[in-house]
Amino acid sequence: MKNSGRLGKGITLRQREERLAWRLIAPTAIIVLGLVLFPAIFNVWISFHKVNLGALRDVFGAPFNGLANYKNVINDFSFKFENFQNMGVVVTSIIYSLASTILTVLLGLGAALLLNRPFKGRGVTRALFLFPYVAPIVSVAFVWRWILDPRQSGVMNDILTRMGVIDMPQAYLSTRGLALLLVIIFEAWRYFPFAMLMILARLQAIEDALYEAAEVDGANNWQKFQHITIPELRYVLGATFLLRLLWTFNKFDDIFLLTGGGFGTKVLPILTYEFSFKTFNFGKGAAAAMLQLVLVLAFMLVYLKFVMKEED
Amino acid sequence: MTKTNTHKKQTIFDYLAARFSLKQFIFWIVLIFFLVTILFPFYWMVSSSFKTYAEIGGRAPVYVPSKLRLDAYSELFDPSNPSYQNFGRNIRNSLLVSVPTALIAVILSTLGAYAIARFHFKGKNALLNSVLLIYLFPGVLLIIPLFAMLSHFATLFGFEVQDNLVVLVITYLSQTLPVALYMLTNYFRTIPDEIEQAALIDGCSHMRVITKITIPLSVPALVSVFIYTFMIAWNEFLYAFIFLNSRSLFTMPIQINTIFNDPSPRPHVVMAASTIMTLPIIILFLSLEKFLEKGLVSGGVKG
Repeated sequence: MKNSGRLGKGITLRQREERLAWRLIAPTAIIVLGLVLFPAIFNVWISFHKVNLGALRDVFGAPFNGLANYKNVINDFSFKFENFQNMGVVVTSIIYSLASTILTVLLGLGAALLLNRPFKGRGVTRALFLFPYVAPIVSVAFVWRWILDPRQSGVMNDILTRMGVIDMPQAYLSTRGLALLLVIIFEAWRYFPFAMLMILARLQAIEDALYEAAEVDGANNWQKFQHITIPELRYVLGATFLLRLLWTFNKFDDIFLLTGGGFGTKVLPILTYEFSFKTFNFGKGAAAAMLQLVLVLAFMLVYLKFVMKEED
Repeated sequence: MTKTNTHKKQTIFDYLAARFSLKQFIFWIVLIFFLVTILFPFYWMVSSSFKTYAEIGGRAPVYVPSKLRLDAYSELFDPSNPSYQNFGRNIRNSLLVSVPTALIAVILSTLGAYAIARFHFKGKNALLNSVLLIYLFPGVLLIIPLFAMLSHFATLFGFEVQDNLVVLVITYLSQTLPVALYMLTNYFRTIPDEIEQAALIDGCSHMRVITKITIPLSVPALVSVFIYTFMIAWNEFLYAFIFLNSRSLFTMPIQINTIFNDPSPRPHVVMAASTIMTLPIIILFLSLEKFLEKGLVSGGVKG
């Protein structure tokens, strides 16, 4: 304030306010610029340089490496599509994030429709439905691993044996194919509450008059759902799908904790982690992360241009 | 009901059919299916934490523990237990990271959000857009440059990157501040600014307006932002996993991961530690459900 007092006569109220605004936001801006924006740009730099553990003492002096990091990533044996047994991280990532996002949104839609009807205990049920989403990832991932324990004493093995579905105990999370499927189901289990909340908020904003008018016209429930509910939900479904897909594609914790990225569940974030913090080849890791970002951006542009545009 | 009463005989099925239509029946079946799938893992976590090693390692799963045994908890907290984990230390570390993160995030984002909601200034939109970038960037992308950058400065200025809880708090702030700023800006925009304007005309400074008017009016929002950011820091795995090496500084998620990957598996201990970590989050969430849901819907969370 002293500053503006001294300059008092020379500056306008608007300038003074602008100054104050910057002072208020400066700490946040510095942290965000310094720890998000700068690193994001710096990552591009790293991806073109040879940065290993030894280079960390003086990162900015690391030697230029051209496209070597990118070539190394693309030629990595776990990157390329070999066959359906060995799909490579790119294909696995795409299948994993698309499938789990679709399942998440569908489950979320189902749950939202359930909870949109009035019934006794709706408030409590709604709160319970959010548990998988709010609970810490470490806890829920390990509970599921413990439920899917490969021994005969694992709950899933016990229940499925009793029901006569399986004869032998299964090693669910260490069987190729099955592991990927279960990781996808886990994602839907954990994140459907997010979709549910988004959809529910929109559902409750649909005017009753629309349904009443349809009723007068003699529409049945399915017709009402098809011609009122779905069109009203289109935007929120599209937005939820995009957000979830983006976050699922970028997610590291879930798969790392469930399978460690083994048995056909290795996705791009896991590969990035392995390059940078297992083999300490930060340049290669940064290049993998850049490829991941490019894939996400490309998808987003296409999606926003073709899918979301139509709905306006 | 009047229709069924006209029938001569009424069996129990007629009664049920009149009471519950097929639609309702399907509704309840689906609802119960949802509830069981959601709640069983939580039941399994809590109940397993009260089992003994024998019950955990038996041939068949034990669905209901015979007694509430505290074997697992004693391994976590009792120093005389042969495989004592000193979990109290991990709880303390988690609190030492989460509370400052949440507190600093709330204070800084209150100031920042006030500036964004109330003032026009050059570069505001550019700033807001760069804040939103955090939603786009994978955590695993940011951690490479952050790690490299912080290591560089660490050698330069002589501090430790790894096993330094302050460094962890700073990286958590980069994750939580954008969220907090976004949520609070949205909230401040819903507060009519007439009262603030009146106070300003009366000669109050902006800082006084923030502390005397805006903050008291936003207590619920501030509390939910605090809890949100607290939860993000409390649950965080990747950054803690990379930045912490020494067992004495592990936060809960890292310690649980370590116990899980122990050569001699003790799931009941993992479940006990998970229960301890999950319970406060669930309680916090339930007690503030209404506020937090709003934040969830407004896209405030990246998760």
